Amino acid sequence: MPPDRLSTTFAALADPTRRAILARLVSGGASVTELAEPFAMSLPAISKHLKVLERAGLIARGRAAQWRPCRLEAGPLKNVADWVEGYRRFWEQSFDRLDDYLRELKAARANVWLSNTNTGSARTGKTLAHPKVSKAKTAREDKL
Amino acid sequence: MTNGKTASPENRADREIVLTRVFDAPRELIWDAWTDPKQIVQWWGPRGFTMTIHEMDVRPGGVWKHTMHGPDGTDYPTQCVFVEVVEPERIVYYMAGGKKGDPGHESQVTWTFGAQGNKTKLTLRMLFPSAEILEGVAKTYGVVEGGTQTFDRLGEHLAKDSPG
Repeated sequence: MPPDRLSTTFAALADPTRRAILARLVSGGASVTELAEPFAMSLPAISKHLKVLERAGLIARGRAAQWRPCRLEAGPLKNVADWVEGYRRFWEQSFDRLDDYLRELKAARANVWLSNTNTGSARTGKTLAHPKVSKAKTAREDKL
Repeated sequence: MTNGKTASPENRADREIVLTRVFDAPRELIWDAWTDPKQIVQWWGPRGFTMTIHEMDVRPGGVWKHTMHGPDGTDYPTQCVFVEVVEPERIVYYMAGGKKGDPGHESQVTWTFGAQGNKTKLTLRMLFPSAEILEGVAKTYGVVEGGTQTFDRLGEHLAKDSPG
């Protein structure tokens, strides 16, 4: 979903009256008059809010000339949910990769230690060739 | 899903993603893996992504510019400014990512490195600016779809969240 569509959804949701209208529509379609009832607002003011919601694709309005009932459209809400999910996935996978990286780092260090104590000389060659060990070491030296 | 009943200015649960994991490594090791540009590129981002760091100055006020390269070739340029850097405990930065108009464009991210013996409890908090919006979406959409996986899972993470 392109960010501009998402921000249209966010802009439409940025108003408490509009969120309340959506919440009301969860329990079923309603006319403008019905939607206006809980609010101390004129019908034209409510109609303005409905137009914003309609443009954002959050509601659809029936074609019946007089009544034009409004109903909720869940698509854009799902997009927001997916957007949040995207971030969550980003970080969860980063955590997974960090876990892998730390494991490799620790294994490489253990190998260095083993080779230093002369008990794991068979692994020495492999250890020295491990790119992450040298990188980590360089990093530490940089810091000092 | 969230504990929105105890609403207060400090209650951010409705606009936060919180992830916590205990790593079997001392926190100094994780701190280095985070703050060293040579190391962070080895793990940052989802699998299949790579990262180019243009600038990384880990200190309060320091700038961190990087680009995430997606597996499909899409680039995600991101700019961050470090707010707090308390070695080896805490990093806070403001993030401006994605394209202009992306509502995620500005968020505050806090990393906490909690020592637990030889292990480390790493906590990530991503605070979105659009509190009411996300809460409204969670409620409305949750009802519409009978509770989506996303918000169920987000809710679980939020519920699991406890300071420290």
